[in-house]
Amino acid sequence: MTSPLIYLSLSRLKNAIRDLFRKPARLIYVVFLVALFVLAVGGSQSGPPPEAYRDPREMVAMATALFLFIFLYMVWNGFSKGGTIFSLSDVNLIFPSPIGRTRALFYGLFRQIGTVLLVGIFLFYQYGWLHNLYNITVGTMAVIFLCYCAAVFLGQVTAMTIYAFTSSSEGAQRVLKILIVVLGLLELAWLCWGMWNAPENRLAGLIQAAVSLPVELFPVAGWLGWTFAGWLGMGLWWPGLLLCAAFLALLVFLLTHFPRDWYEDVLRTAELAQSAIAAKKEGSMEAVPGKVRVGAIGMKGGWGASAFYYKHKIENRRGGWLLLPPITLIFAVVLIVFAFFMRAGGIIPVFALAVYLQLFTAGTSRINRELYKPFVYLVPEPPFAKLLQCLRELFPSALAEAVVVFVPVGLILQMSPWGIVVCVFARISYAFLFQSGNLLLERFWSGASKALILFLYFLILILLTLPGILLAIFLVAFVGFPGGVVTGLLLAGLVNVPVALLLFYLLRNMLQYAEYTH
Amino acid sequence: MLHLAHVTKYYGKNLANDDISFQVEGGQIAILLGPNGAGKSTIIKCIAGLLRFQGEITIGGFGNKTTEAKRLLAYIPETPAVYDMLTVSEHLEFIRRAYRLEDDGYGEQLLERFELADKRDKLGRDLSKGMQQKLSICCGLVHRPKLIIFDEPMVGLDPHAIKELKTLFREQKEAGAALLISTHMIDSVEDYWDVTHIMVKGRFAATQYNRPEELQAQSLEDLFFAITEGGQEA
Repeated sequence: MTSPLIYLSLSRLKNAIRDLFRKPARLIYVVFLVALFVLAVGGSQSGPPPEAYRDPREMVAMATALFLFIFLYMVWNGFSKGGTIFSLSDVNLIFPSPIGRTRALFYGLFRQIGTVLLVGIFLFYQYGWLHNLYNITVGTMAVIFLCYCAAVFLGQVTAMTIYAFTSSSEGAQRVLKILIVVLGLLELAWLCWGMWNAPENRLAGLIQAAVSLPVELFPVAGWLGWTFAGWLGMGLWWPGLLLCAAFLALLVFLLTHFPRDWYEDVLRTAELAQSAIAAKKEGSMEAVPGKVRVGAIGMKGGWGASAFYYKHKIENRRGGWLLLPPITLIFAVVLIVFAFFMRAGGIIPVFALAVYLQLFTAGTSRINRELYKPFVYLVPEPPFAKLLQCLRELFPSALAEAVVVFVPVGLILQMSPWGIVVCVFARISYAFLFQSGNLLLERFWSGASKALILFLYFLILILLTLPGILLAIFLVAFVGFPGGVVTGLLLAGLVNVPVALLLFYLLRNMLQYAEYTH
Repeated sequence: MLHLAHVTKYYGKNLANDDISFQVEGGQIAILLGPNGAGKSTIIKCIAGLLRFQGEITIGGFGNKTTEAKRLLAYIPETPAVYDMLTVSEHLEFIRRAYRLEDDGYGEQLLERFELADKRDKLGRDLSKGMQQKLSICCGLVHRPKLIIFDEPMVGLDPHAIKELKTLFREQKEAGAALLISTHMIDSVEDYWDVTHIMVKGRFAATQYNRPEELQAQSLEDLFFAITEGGQEA
C-alpha cells in the first residue's frame, strides 16, 4: 500500500498538471513565460560578442549578495513568524494523523522544494545581460538558480528551527539575533577593509574581499557562493556544498531528535500564512503577519471622496512604507548596483530594467487594494472623484521612487542635472501609465482566472508603453531630434502622461459599474 | 424603499438570478432564505450596486447606482470588510467623513452596544473574525441608512452579538428603515420578519408573509423543506 504522504504528494502534482491543461489561459501563460525566456536567451546571443568580458568574480560577488539577502531575510523572519513549509491543510490533516513527526517533516521539506523551484524561475530572465557581460552559459545560469533555491530552502528550514527552539525564550532570541548581527557586521567590516586596501581600484578590492574565504565561510550564503565560484573554476566546488548538506542534516537532526514539539509552532505559522492568503484573496494584500506600530490615531482630514486619500496616508504609514513599499526599495538597490556595473552602457539599459521591474510593483498602490473592498463602491460620492482621490497618493510615492532610483543612478552615470530630472519625470510617467493599465485590467477582467490576468497584465502594460517608445525612437533616431537618449526619454514620458490620463478618464465610472466579484 | 423589477444576473454563461422582482418598504423586514448557491448573495450584491445586471433596481426612487441611492443604503457583507491598517475608531471616522457627517456620538454608541468600545484602538487585522463582523455592522449603520442589507449576518457572531443584532433589527424596523436579510439558517429568522422569499436556483420558489393564517397552514420551516427537498413551488 502506497504511503499516504507519497499518495498526497503525487496526487497534488498530478492535479496541478491536469489543472494546467484544463485551463488554457494558464497554459498560454506558461508558454508565454517560456517564450520570453527563449527570447532572452536567443536575443542575448544574436549580437556581436564584446571585445572583452567582465571579471566573473563580480558575478560571484553579486550572486553571494543575493543568497545572503534572501537567507538572512528568511532567518530574521524566523524570530517572529517561523518558517512556512506546511500549509494549514497539512497541519489540520497530517499532524493529528498517526504519521510520525519525522516523516511529516520530510514531507514538508520535499513539498517546499517544489515551491522554491517555482519562485526562483524569475532568475532565468536575467540570463541576457549576464551572458552579455560575463559570457555565462545556460548551465551556469542553472547553477545560480539551484544555489538560489538552496538559499531559500535552507533559509526556511533554519527559520523553522529557530522559531521552534526560541519562540518561548526571549533571551535565546536576543542572543541569536546579536550573533547574526555581529556576523553580518564582521562581514561588512571585511568588505570595507578590502576596499580600503585597494585605493587605486576600490571596486576590485571589494570584489576580491567578497570572494575570499571569510565571506565563503558565512553560513549558507557564503557556502553557496563558494560552490558557485567553484563551478566557474575558481577553486573547489564541493566544500561549500558539503557544508550546506551538513547544515541541513544538523537542522533536521535538531528538529527530529530533540523533545521539542514543533507542531505547535508550525500551527501558528501556518494559520498566519493562511490568514495572509485569505487576506490577499479578499484584497488586503499587506496582511502579512508581523508587528505594526499604530502611532497617532485618527484621520487628519478628508471629507467625502478625499476621505480615501487621508485613509491611504494612515495605511501607508502603518504599512511600514517610508513613502515607498519595501519591495520598491529593494528594486531601487538592485537598479543602483546594476547601474554601477553597467555604467559603460549609459542610461538605456538601467532605465529599461527600471521599467521592467516597475511592472512588478505597479499593482501595489492603494487603489488596487481598495478595489477589493466594497466601501469604495458604496460611498455616495461621484465615481470619478473617488477614483482621483484614490490615485492621489500615487504621485508622492512615484516621485519618491523616481528620486531614490535616478538621483544615485544619474550620479553614477555622471548625467547632467537636466538628464536626471528627465529620468525622474519619465519614471513617474510610467508609474501613472502602469496604474492606468492596472485599472483597465480590473475594470474588464477582474473576474478572470489568475493566469489569464497575469498574462493580460504584462500584455496590456507592454502595449501601453509602445506609443511613447515608438514615437521617441522615430523622432530621435529617424527625424534627428537633438539631445539623444535624454530627449527620447522626455518624449516617451510626454506621450505616456496623456495616454494614462485618457485611460483614467475613460475609466472614470468604473467605481459605479465595476463587477465586484472578489 | 427598495424595488426590484425583472432582475437577471449572469456570471458568464451561468444564470445566477432569473427574473427577480420584489419590494421592501420602510418599516418592513424581508428575508431571503435559501440553500447554499441559491443566488441570495448575488441578488444582494446587485442591489448594493456591486454587480452589473439586467432589469431595474431602485432605492428610495433612485437608481441603485446613483449617489442618492448609496446615501440611503447600508450593505453588510458576509465576509467582514475591514481595513487591516485602520483602528476600530478610525473605521467609523472614515465612514463618517466619507459620508460627510459630523460626529454626533452615534458611532461610539454602536461600539458600546457591540462591545467594541474597549477595542477602539485595535487595528482591523488584530480583531477576531467575529469582532470584524461586528465592526462591519457598525460601519454599515453609522450613517443611519434607510435601507439595510445584511448578507448572512449571524455567521461568526457570539450569542451576545446575535441577541443585540436581533434587537437592532426590530429597532430599525420601528424607526422606519427597510431591512433585507439573507440567510440559509431558518432558526436565525425567528419571528421578527414580515415577508420571506425562498430562493432556489436563482429564482423565488415561494413567498410567505408573517401572518397567522399563512403560518397556520404551513410553517416557514415546512414550506422551506417542501420546496428544497420535495420540489414544491408555491
